Amino acid sequence: MEHALIEIKDLKVEFKTERATAYALNGVNLEIKKGESLGLVGEAGAGKTTTALSILNLLAKPAAHIMGGDVLYKGTSVFSMSEKKLRDIRGKEISMIFQNPLTSLNPVFTVGEQIAMVLRTHKNLGKKEAFQEAGKLLETVGIASYRLSDYPHQFSGGMRQRVGIAASLACNPELLIADEPTTALDVTIQAQILELMKDLQDKYSTSLLMITHNLGIISELCQKVAVMYAGRIIEYGTVKEVFKYPAHPYTKGLLGAIPRLDVDSDHLEVIPGNIANVHHLPSGCKFHPRCAFCKKECEQEEPAMNRINDNHYVACYINEGGL
Amino acid sequence: MDKKLLFGRIKRSKFFIVGGIGVFFIIILAFTSPLFVSFDGTTSSLMERFTPPEGFSKGLAGHILGTDQLGRDILTRILLGARISLSIAIICVALSAFIGTVLGLIAGYFGGAVDKIIMRTCDVFLSIPSLILAIAIMAVLGTSIINLITVMVISRWVQYARLMRNQVMVIRNKEFVLASKAFGASHWHIMFKQIFVNITTPLIILLSQQIGQMILMESSLSFLNMGIQPPLPSWGSMIANGRSYIASYPWVVVAPGIALMLTVLSFNFLGDGLRDILDPKQK
Repeated sequence: MEHALIEIKDLKVEFKTERATAYALNGVNLEIKKGESLGLVGEAGAGKTTTALSILNLLAKPAAHIMGGDVLYKGTSVFSMSEKKLRDIRGKEISMIFQNPLTSLNPVFTVGEQIAMVLRTHKNLGKKEAFQEAGKLLETVGIASYRLSDYPHQFSGGMRQRVGIAASLACNPELLIADEPTTALDVTIQAQILELMKDLQDKYSTSLLMITHNLGIISELCQKVAVMYAGRIIEYGTVKEVFKYPAHPYTKGLLGAIPRLDVDSDHLEVIPGNIANVHHLPSGCKFHPRCAFCKKECEQEEPAMNRINDNHYVACYINEGGL
Repeated sequence: MDKKLLFGRIKRSKFFIVGGIGVFFIIILAFTSPLFVSFDGTTSSLMERFTPPEGFSKGLAGHILGTDQLGRDILTRILLGARISLSIAIICVALSAFIGTVLGLIAGYFGGAVDKIIMRTCDVFLSIPSLILAIAIMAVLGTSIINLITVMVISRWVQYARLMRNQVMVIRNKEFVLASKAFGASHWHIMFKQIFVNITTPLIILLSQQIGQMILMESSLSFLNMGIQPPLPSWGSMIANGRSYIASYPWVVVAPGIALMLTVLSFNFLGDGLRDILDPKQK
């Protein structure tokens, strides 16, 4: 059997600081196949970025501790790879778009130099060739190539994010991780960037891991969706299936919290309470203190991932008897 | 930074203009002096000892600033001394800046045990009084220009290491550093390309201020007879040798003293001016 592009197996990550231990990931299982686009949703602090960074083995040492599980890239564990092998993969085969385009570019280099740096690291291009190639990349993300020798501060936020996208696509990566690429941008620019990412994904047939808390983006861009809560995947399946028949109370809550134009209502549905404190996680199902359907076993034992059908899995007791 | 903004700040900074002009003239004078001085700075002529300053009464051929206890022309010796002092100061600043910057970058970037080892070494070096270290080294290895440079570098690199470390600490957690890691950059590339170019401003400022400090230190070592050895002229040794005649022939001491003061002042002004101009926080 061929390996999936990325397999995350029961990954547990803790951040240890002097004062406390944060249980960031508590057994994440995830799979990204070649050419597939997966959306990862969850509240702030659910562990989305930690998951993404552990794929690249870039978790902030020495605070981060991998307590168990593994991340396999094409069947090889990224945690056992040599530093050199990792550097070859980063940017070339897996690359990442960062959340804040205002801080993810180095202010002292021109955008051309920064894209060219990626090309020169991985493709062994000369200075001039790399610069030309960078110009072409800028054109594909919709920036005129004469702006290569401009500095990041001469660009707007949306354009800087395009530069970031150009840099991450420089080596035609197999997997593109987009960590909330549109959160720092305003809505019209968001639409442009998403359109661009959709086009580029069709063009290059890259796999995509889209991290966001915006469910709209996921339904636009992704085939599959994984919902995260307190360091676990609680629901996983195709976007169509999950959005239409959400099975986990948390997913239902998330979908219910989207303002709708077709229903006349004064109030938005809310999920009561706050996201679970990563320093003191509740026992059993991490969501049970906020869950309206909480049963006795929810408080005691963590529910396992149950299959609803081939396209839909959920970790919740209320679905055990079937819907 | 914008060229126009930079130019506007240069015009407004009086420190930079005064210091810059001063430093410019001092360097030009020091390094072109062998072309026009009319006396030999090292041979004595006892007939002419303690000639008072003649000013320009005999034109450039006279002893403009007088002569010292061995009849050597003081202006000539100041100019030649400037060449030696400046060269040594620049070499020392360059060497100590190089060592300190590299170690500071490494300490700040890697953190942890590496940082602790380098920074505790810095503490050790800081706790040794530089004059006592100089006396110890000169006593063991003898006085020579190489030893002089060694002493000055050993006692000054710590400044750069500490400055660079703190600056790196600020920059290394920025998102663009993580981004370049995610693009597969090596530690070396991140340290010396991504981070270093972001922190050159404080380094430039420290460099210009340290040149003045180095000139002073070289002079004080020479004053204690541990620096430049006679008959080569150095401002420190000129002041040291002339101090016994200060009551009767004050120009022997005053002239090199003023030269030293003006030079250090110019470099300090230049450093302060650079700080005003390059500091991004002052908009």
